[in-house]
Amino acid sequence: MATHEATEAPAAGATVPLEVRIGFAHACLQWIADRCGADLLHVKGAALDPTLVPGRGFSDADVLARPEHVRMLLDELRHHGWELINSFAYGSSFEHSATLRHSDFGLLDLHRIYPGTGPTPGRAFDTLWAERTTRVLGGVECAVPSRDAQAALLLLHAARGGSDPKAAHDVDWVWTTADQARRARILDWVERLDAGLGFSVITGTLDDHRDDPAYDLWRVASRGGTRMDEWRARVRAAHGLRAKLTVASRSVLVNVEHLTIVRGRPVTRREIVAEFFGRPARGLREQVARRARGSRATGEREQ
Amino acid sequence: MTAAYRPGPDAGVTVSDDGQCVYVAHLPGGPIVVLEGAAALIWVEATTEPATGWVARVAEAFGQSEEVIAADVAAFVADLGARDLLVTAPTEAPGTPG
Repeated sequence: MATHEATEAPAAGATVPLEVRIGFAHACLQWIADRCGADLLHVKGAALDPTLVPGRGFSDADVLARPEHVRMLLDELRHHGWELINSFAYGSSFEHSATLRHSDFGLLDLHRIYPGTGPTPGRAFDTLWAERTTRVLGGVECAVPSRDAQAALLLLHAARGGSDPKAAHDVDWVWTTADQARRARILDWVERLDAGLGFSVITGTLDDHRDDPAYDLWRVASRGGTRMDEWRARVRAAHGLRAKLTVASRSVLVNVEHLTIVRGRPVTRREIVAEFFGRPARGLREQVARRARGSRATGEREQ
Repeated sequence: MTAAYRPGPDAGVTVSDDGQCVYVAHLPGGPIVVLEGAAALIWVEATTEPATGWVARVAEAFGQSEEVIAADVAAFVADLGARDLLVTAPTEAPGTPG
Protein backbone atom coordinates (compact mmCIF):
# COMPACT_ATOMS: atom_id res chain seq x y z
CA MET A 1 0.00 0.00 0.00
CA ALA A 2 1.47 3.38 -1.02
CA THR A 3 2.07 5.11 2.27
CA HIS A 4 5.11 7.34 2.61
CA GLU A 5 6.32 9.60 5.32
CA ALA A 6 7.26 12.72 3.42
CA THR A 7 10.20 13.33 5.69
CA GLU A 8 11.79 10.11 4.49
CA ALA A 9 13.67 11.54 1.56
CA PRO A 10 14.34 8.31 -0.36
CA ALA A 11 10.65 7.44 -0.79
CA ALA A 12 10.08 7.99 -4.50
CA GLY A 13 6.90 9.89 -5.23
CA ALA A 14 6.43 11.00 -1.63
CA THR A 15 6.78 14.65 -2.47
CA VAL A 16 4.47 17.11 -0.80
CA PRO A 17 3.45 20.21 -2.77
CA LEU A 18 4.48 23.50 -1.17
CA GLU A 19 0.90 24.71 -0.83
CA VAL A 20 0.03 21.53 1.10
CA ARG A 21 2.96 22.05 3.48
CA ILE A 22 1.93 25.66 4.03
CA GLY A 23 -1.66 24.59 4.70
CA PHE A 24 -0.31 22.30 7.40
CA ALA A 25 1.79 25.15 8.80
CA HIS A 26 -1.46 27.06 9.36
CA ALA A 27 -3.09 23.95 10.82
CA CYS A 28 -0.12 23.49 13.15
CA LEU A 29 -0.31 27.10 14.35
CA GLN A 30 -4.03 26.82 15.02
CA TRP A 31 -3.50 23.52 16.87
CA ILE A 32 -0.92 25.17 19.10
CA ALA A 33 -2.99 28.34 19.60
CA ASP A 34 -6.08 26.33 20.56
CA ARG A 35 -4.15 24.44 23.19
CA CYS A 36 -2.22 27.31 24.73
CA GLY A 37 -5.12 29.76 24.62
CA ALA A 38 -3.57 32.21 22.17
CA ASP A 39 -5.62 34.30 19.74
CA LEU A 40 -4.33 34.45 16.20
CA LEU A 41 -5.60 35.30 12.76
CA HIS A 42 -4.35 33.61 9.62
CA VAL A 43 -3.65 36.22 6.96
CA LYS A 44 -2.63 36.32 3.29
CA GLY A 45 -1.33 33.28 1.40
CA ALA A 46 -3.33 30.11 1.86
CA ALA A 47 -5.65 31.92 4.26
CA LEU A 48 -6.67 34.53 1.71
CA ASP A 49 -10.23 34.32 0.40
CA PRO A 50 -9.60 32.72 -3.02
CA THR A 51 -12.13 35.00 -4.70
CA LEU A 52 -10.10 38.13 -3.87
CA VAL A 53 -7.18 37.37 -6.22
CA PRO A 54 -7.86 34.08 -8.04
CA GLY A 55 -4.79 31.87 -8.49
CA ARG A 56 -2.55 33.97 -6.24
CA GLY A 57 0.52 31.96 -5.23
CA PHE A 58 2.25 31.92 -1.86
CA SER A 59 5.46 30.62 -0.40
CA ASP A 60 4.99 30.80 3.37
CA ALA A 61 2.35 30.99 6.07
CA ASP A 62 1.49 34.31 7.71
CA VAL A 63 -0.30 34.66 11.01
CA LEU A 64 -1.09 37.72 13.10
CA ALA A 65 -1.09 37.08 16.84
CA ARG A 66 -2.69 39.08 19.61
CA PRO A 67 0.34 41.14 20.72
CA GLU A 68 0.31 39.95 24.32
CA HIS A 69 0.23 36.32 23.16
CA VAL A 70 3.25 36.56 20.88
CA ARG A 71 5.86 35.56 23.47
CA MET A 72 3.82 32.54 24.56
CA LEU A 73 3.36 31.45 20.93
CA LEU A 74 7.06 31.81 20.18
CA ASP A 75 7.90 29.62 23.16
CA GLU A 76 5.33 26.99 22.14
CA LEU A 77 6.49 26.99 18.52
CA ARG A 78 10.05 26.29 19.57
CA HIS A 79 8.84 23.29 21.57
CA HIS A 80 7.19 21.87 18.47
CA GLY A 81 10.03 21.92 16.00
CA TRP A 82 9.90 25.51 14.76
CA GLU A 83 13.28 27.20 14.52
CA LEU A 84 13.55 30.99 14.72
CA ILE A 85 15.50 32.25 11.73
CA ASN A 86 14.76 35.97 11.88
CA SER A 87 13.55 37.88 14.91
CA PHE A 88 11.19 40.86 14.91
CA ALA A 89 13.91 43.49 15.17
CA TYR A 90 15.61 42.24 12.03
CA GLY A 91 12.59 41.05 10.03
CA SER A 92 11.89 44.25 8.10
CA SER A 93 11.99 48.00 8.51
CA PHE A 94 8.54 47.74 10.11
CA GLU A 95 9.90 45.21 12.67
CA HIS A 96 6.55 43.48 12.39
CA SER A 97 7.24 39.77 12.04
CA ALA A 98 9.53 36.96 13.04
CA THR A 99 10.30 34.16 10.61
CA LEU A 100 10.39 30.54 11.70
CA ARG A 101 11.09 27.35 9.83
CA HIS A 102 9.84 23.81 10.32
CA SER A 103 11.37 20.80 8.59
CA ASP A 104 7.96 19.54 7.40
CA PHE A 105 5.79 22.63 7.20
CA GLY A 106 8.21 25.19 5.75
CA LEU A 107 8.34 28.89 6.56
CA LEU A 108 6.12 30.89 8.86
CA ASP A 109 5.90 34.63 9.44
CA LEU A 110 4.56 35.34 12.91
CA HIS A 111 3.30 38.94 12.93
CA ARG A 112 3.01 40.95 16.12
CA ILE A 113 1.83 43.97 14.11
CA TYR A 114 0.27 44.21 10.69
CA PRO A 115 2.19 47.13 9.13
CA GLY A 116 0.01 50.16 8.60
CA THR A 117 -2.74 49.20 11.06
CA GLY A 118 -3.42 50.87 14.38
CA PRO A 119 -3.90 52.94 16.37
CA THR A 120 -2.07 50.37 18.49
CA PRO A 121 -1.24 46.77 17.59
CA GLY A 122 -3.65 45.55 20.26
CA ARG A 123 -6.57 47.66 19.08
CA ALA A 124 -5.94 46.75 15.45
CA PHE A 125 -6.02 43.08 16.40
CA ASP A 126 -9.25 43.57 18.39
CA THR A 127 -10.88 45.28 15.41
CA LEU A 128 -9.99 42.39 13.09
CA TRP A 129 -10.76 39.73 15.70
CA ALA A 130 -14.25 41.11 16.37
CA GLU A 131 -15.39 40.22 12.83
CA ARG A 132 -13.32 37.12 12.21
CA THR A 133 -14.59 34.18 10.27
CA THR A 134 -13.04 30.75 9.64
CA ARG A 135 -11.40 28.88 6.81
CA VAL A 136 -10.29 25.24 6.81
CA LEU A 137 -6.53 24.98 6.23
CA GLY A 138 -4.74 21.65 6.37
CA GLY A 139 -7.95 20.11 7.69
CA VAL A 140 -8.17 22.46 10.68
CA GLU A 141 -10.64 25.34 11.10
CA CYS A 142 -8.55 28.51 11.29
CA ALA A 143 -9.59 32.04 12.26
CA VAL A 144 -9.27 34.57 9.44
CA PRO A 145 -10.32 38.23 9.08
CA SER A 146 -13.56 39.02 7.26
CA ARG A 147 -13.32 39.15 3.46
CA ASP A 148 -13.34 42.96 3.23
CA ALA A 149 -10.78 43.22 6.03
CA GLN A 150 -8.61 40.76 4.09
CA ALA A 151 -8.87 43.02 1.05
CA ALA A 152 -7.69 46.02 3.10
CA LEU A 153 -4.81 44.02 4.59
CA LEU A 154 -3.74 42.73 1.19
CA LEU A 155 -3.64 46.28 -0.18
CA LEU A 156 -1.58 47.46 2.80
CA HIS A 157 0.83 44.63 2.03
CA ALA A 158 0.94 45.64 -1.63
CA ALA A 159 1.65 49.23 -0.55
CA ARG A 160 5.00 48.01 0.79
CA GLY A 161 5.70 46.01 -2.34
CA GLY A 162 7.43 48.70 -4.36
CA SER A 163 7.73 47.57 -7.97
CA ASP A 164 6.89 43.92 -7.20
CA PRO A 165 4.60 42.68 -10.04
CA LYS A 166 2.66 40.53 -7.58
CA ALA A 167 1.82 43.63 -5.52
CA ALA A 168 0.70 45.46 -8.67
CA HIS A 169 -1.47 42.48 -9.62
CA ASP A 170 -3.07 42.48 -6.16
CA VAL A 171 -3.86 46.19 -6.43
CA ASP A 172 -5.38 45.65 -9.88
CA TRP A 173 -7.64 42.86 -8.69
CA VAL A 174 -8.63 44.18 -5.30
CA TRP A 175 -8.75 47.94 -5.84
CA THR A 176 -8.39 49.22 -9.40
CA THR A 177 -11.15 47.03 -10.82
CA ALA A 178 -13.37 47.24 -7.72
CA ASP A 179 -16.72 48.97 -8.00
CA GLN A 180 -17.70 51.85 -5.72
CA ALA A 181 -19.57 49.67 -3.25
CA ARG A 182 -16.60 47.36 -2.79
CA ARG A 183 -14.19 50.28 -2.49
CA ALA A 184 -16.43 51.81 0.16
CA ARG A 185 -16.33 48.59 2.20
CA ILE A 186 -12.53 48.45 1.94
CA LEU A 187 -12.21 52.12 2.91
CA ASP A 188 -14.42 51.46 5.90
CA TRP A 189 -11.87 48.89 7.08
CA VAL A 190 -9.00 51.30 6.32
CA GLU A 191 -10.66 53.81 8.62
CA ARG A 192 -11.43 51.29 11.33
CA LEU A 193 -7.83 50.09 11.23
CA ASP A 194 -6.44 53.64 11.29
CA ALA A 195 -4.57 52.69 8.13
CA GLY A 196 -4.79 55.95 6.21
CA LEU A 197 -1.03 56.50 5.90
CA GLY A 198 -0.19 53.11 4.41
CA PHE A 199 -3.29 53.11 2.25
CA SER A 200 -2.36 56.50 0.81
CA VAL A 201 0.28 54.61 -1.21
CA ILE A 202 -2.56 52.80 -2.99
CA THR A 203 -4.47 56.02 -3.68
CA GLY A 204 -1.31 57.89 -4.73
CA THR A 205 -1.62 60.45 -1.92
CA LEU A 206 1.35 59.44 0.25
CA ASP A 207 3.03 62.82 -0.08
CA ASP A 208 0.07 64.42 1.71
CA HIS A 209 1.48 62.75 4.85
CA ARG A 210 5.03 64.17 4.80
CA ASP A 211 4.74 65.31 8.41
CA ASP A 212 3.90 61.86 9.70
CA PRO A 213 6.91 60.26 11.49
CA ALA A 214 6.24 57.03 9.59
CA TYR A 215 6.02 58.76 6.19
CA ASP A 216 9.61 57.89 5.28
CA LEU A 217 9.06 54.22 6.13
CA TRP A 218 6.25 54.03 3.59
CA ARG A 219 8.10 56.17 1.06
CA VAL A 220 11.14 53.88 1.14
CA ALA A 221 9.00 50.72 1.19
CA SER A 222 6.87 51.82 -1.75
CA ARG A 223 9.40 53.69 -3.86
CA GLY A 224 12.70 52.14 -2.82
CA GLY A 225 15.81 53.58 -1.22
CA THR A 226 19.24 52.73 0.07
CA ARG A 227 19.97 50.79 3.25
CA MET A 228 20.85 54.15 4.80
CA ASP A 229 17.47 55.62 3.76
CA GLU A 230 15.76 52.63 5.33
CA TRP A 231 17.54 52.95 8.68
CA ARG A 232 16.99 56.71 8.72
CA ALA A 233 13.27 56.07 8.18
CA ARG A 234 13.22 53.50 10.98
CA VAL A 235 14.86 55.93 13.39
CA ARG A 236 12.41 58.68 12.44
CA ALA A 237 9.41 56.39 12.92
CA ALA A 238 10.54 55.12 16.34
CA HIS A 239 8.68 56.79 19.21
CA GLY A 240 10.84 58.65 21.72
CA LEU A 241 14.57 59.17 22.06
CA ARG A 242 15.23 55.83 23.74
CA ALA A 243 13.51 53.90 20.95
CA LYS A 244 15.31 55.94 18.31
CA LEU A 245 18.67 55.16 19.89
CA THR A 246 17.80 51.47 20.09
CA VAL A 247 16.93 51.39 16.38
CA ALA A 248 20.04 53.36 15.50
CA SER A 249 22.31 51.02 17.45
CA ARG A 250 20.67 48.00 15.83
CA SER A 251 21.51 49.38 12.40
CA VAL A 252 25.16 48.54 12.91
CA LEU A 253 24.78 45.31 14.88
CA VAL A 254 25.01 42.08 12.97
CA ASN A 255 21.90 39.94 12.58
CA VAL A 256 23.53 36.65 13.50
CA GLU A 257 20.27 34.75 12.87
CA HIS A 258 20.10 36.00 9.30
CA LEU A 259 23.79 35.49 8.70
CA THR A 260 23.44 31.87 9.84
CA ILE A 261 20.74 31.31 7.23
CA VAL A 262 22.76 33.00 4.50
CA ARG A 263 25.83 30.92 5.31
CA GLY A 264 23.84 27.75 5.90
CA ARG A 265 25.79 26.95 9.07
CA PRO A 266 26.64 28.53 12.43
CA VAL A 267 28.74 31.62 11.85
CA THR A 268 32.14 32.18 13.39
CA ARG A 269 33.17 35.15 15.49
CA ARG A 270 35.43 36.23 12.64
CA GLU A 271 32.48 36.31 10.20
CA ILE A 272 30.37 38.32 12.64
CA VAL A 273 33.16 40.88 12.97
CA ALA A 274 33.54 41.01 9.17
CA GLU A 275 29.79 41.54 8.76
CA PHE A 276 29.79 44.22 11.46
CA PHE A 277 32.21 46.32 9.45
CA GLY A 278 30.74 45.24 6.11
CA ARG A 279 27.18 46.47 6.73
CA PRO A 280 27.93 50.15 7.32
CA ALA A 281 30.38 49.98 4.43
CA ARG A 282 27.67 48.57 2.17
CA GLY A 283 25.27 51.28 3.30
CA LEU A 284 27.92 53.89 2.57
CA ARG A 285 28.68 52.43 -0.85
CA GLU A 286 24.98 52.44 -1.76
CA GLN A 287 24.68 56.05 -0.62
CA VAL A 288 27.77 57.08 -2.54
CA ALA A 289 26.57 55.28 -5.65
CA ARG A 290 23.18 56.93 -5.40
CA ARG A 291 24.75 60.37 -4.98
CA ALA A 292 27.04 59.71 -7.90
CA ARG A 293 24.05 58.74 -10.04
CA GLY A 294 22.24 61.87 -8.84
CA SER A 295 25.21 64.08 -9.73
CA ARG A 296 25.48 62.50 -13.15
CA ALA A 297 21.78 62.99 -13.77
CA THR A 298 22.02 66.64 -12.63
CA GLY A 299 25.07 67.15 -14.81
CA GLU A 300 23.29 65.64 -17.78
CA ARG A 301 20.29 67.87 -17.19
CA GLU A 302 22.55 70.94 -16.95
CA GLN A 303 24.30 70.14 -20.22
CA MET B 1 -25.35 9.32 9.10
CA THR B 2 -21.63 9.00 9.87
CA ALA B 3 -18.50 7.63 8.26
CA ALA B 4 -16.77 4.52 9.62
CA TYR B 5 -13.67 6.48 10.63
CA ARG B 6 -12.54 10.03 11.05
CA PRO B 7 -9.11 11.69 11.22
CA GLY B 8 -7.42 11.49 14.61
CA PRO B 9 -7.76 14.53 16.86
CA ASP B 10 -4.16 15.52 16.12
CA ALA B 11 -4.24 14.89 12.39
CA GLY B 12 -4.41 17.52 9.67
CA VAL B 13 -5.68 16.32 6.30
CA THR B 14 -5.50 17.64 2.75
CA VAL B 15 -6.85 15.76 -0.27
CA SER B 16 -5.36 16.68 -3.65
CA ASP B 17 -7.74 18.24 -6.16
CA ASP B 18 -7.75 15.09 -8.29
CA GLY B 19 -8.37 12.85 -5.27
CA GLN B 20 -5.32 10.74 -6.08
CA CYS B 21 -3.32 11.79 -3.01
CA VAL B 22 -4.18 12.29 0.62
CA TYR B 23 -1.70 14.14 2.82
CA VAL B 24 -2.03 13.55 6.54
CA ALA B 25 0.06 15.52 9.02
CA HIS B 26 0.72 14.68 12.62
CA LEU B 27 0.03 17.91 14.48
CA PRO B 28 1.76 19.83 15.72
CA GLY B 29 5.17 18.41 14.93
CA GLY B 30 4.82 16.33 11.74
CA PRO B 31 5.69 14.27 9.85
CA ILE B 32 3.44 14.40 6.81
CA VAL B 33 2.26 11.02 5.58
CA VAL B 34 1.43 10.70 1.89
CA LEU B 35 -1.26 8.23 0.83
CA GLU B 36 -1.35 7.47 -2.87
CA GLY B 37 -3.53 5.36 -5.13
CA ALA B 38 -5.23 2.53 -3.25
CA ALA B 39 -4.17 4.00 0.11
CA ALA B 40 -5.79 7.33 -0.79
CA LEU B 41 -8.97 5.60 -1.92
CA ILE B 42 -9.23 3.61 1.31
CA TRP B 43 -8.77 6.79 3.38
CA VAL B 44 -11.43 8.66 1.42
CA GLU B 45 -13.99 5.85 1.61
CA ALA B 46 -13.26 5.10 5.28
CA THR B 47 -13.90 8.74 6.17
CA THR B 48 -16.89 9.23 3.88
CA GLU B 49 -20.42 8.45 4.99
CA PRO B 50 -22.20 6.15 5.16
CA ALA B 51 -20.15 3.77 7.26
CA THR B 52 -22.19 0.86 6.06
CA GLY B 53 -20.64 -0.76 3.00
CA TRP B 54 -17.48 1.33 2.89
CA VAL B 55 -15.20 -1.67 2.28
CA ALA B 56 -17.56 -2.83 -0.49
CA ARG B 57 -17.16 0.60 -2.11
CA VAL B 58 -13.37 0.20 -2.07
CA ALA B 59 -13.71 -3.30 -3.55
CA GLU B 60 -15.99 -2.05 -6.27
CA ALA B 61 -13.54 0.72 -7.20
CA PHE B 62 -10.82 -1.89 -7.73
CA GLY B 63 -13.05 -4.44 -9.41
CA GLN B 64 -12.38 -7.00 -6.69
CA SER B 65 -14.62 -8.89 -4.35
CA GLU B 66 -14.88 -7.60 -0.79
CA GLU B 67 -13.57 -10.91 0.53
CA VAL B 68 -10.35 -10.59 -1.47
CA ILE B 69 -9.40 -7.12 -0.19
CA ALA B 70 -10.94 -7.07 3.29
CA ALA B 71 -7.88 -8.36 5.18
CA ASP B 72 -5.49 -5.93 3.50
CA VAL B 73 -7.86 -3.03 4.03
CA ALA B 74 -8.26 -3.92 7.70
CA ALA B 75 -4.49 -4.15 8.15
CA PHE B 76 -3.97 -0.79 6.48
CA VAL B 77 -6.62 0.91 8.61
CA ALA B 78 -5.07 -0.66 11.72
CA ASP B 79 -1.69 0.79 10.70
CA LEU B 80 -3.18 4.28 10.35
CA GLY B 81 -4.89 3.80 13.70
CA ALA B 82 -1.59 2.82 15.32
CA ARG B 83 -0.15 6.09 14.03
CA ASP B 84 -3.12 7.98 15.57
CA LEU B 85 -4.04 9.28 12.15
CA LEU B 86 -7.42 7.53 11.94
CA VAL B 87 -9.92 6.74 14.68
CA THR B 88 -13.23 4.95 14.68
CA ALA B 89 -16.07 7.41 14.31
CA PRO B 90 -18.63 7.35 17.12
CA THR B 91 -21.80 5.55 16.16
CA GLU B 92 -24.99 7.54 16.21
CA ALA B 93 -27.51 6.93 18.91
CA PRO B 94 -30.74 5.36 17.62
CA GLY B 95 -33.15 8.01 16.48
CA THR B 96 -30.45 10.61 15.81
CA PRO B 97 -31.38 12.56 12.71
CA GLY B 98 -29.10 11.64 9.85
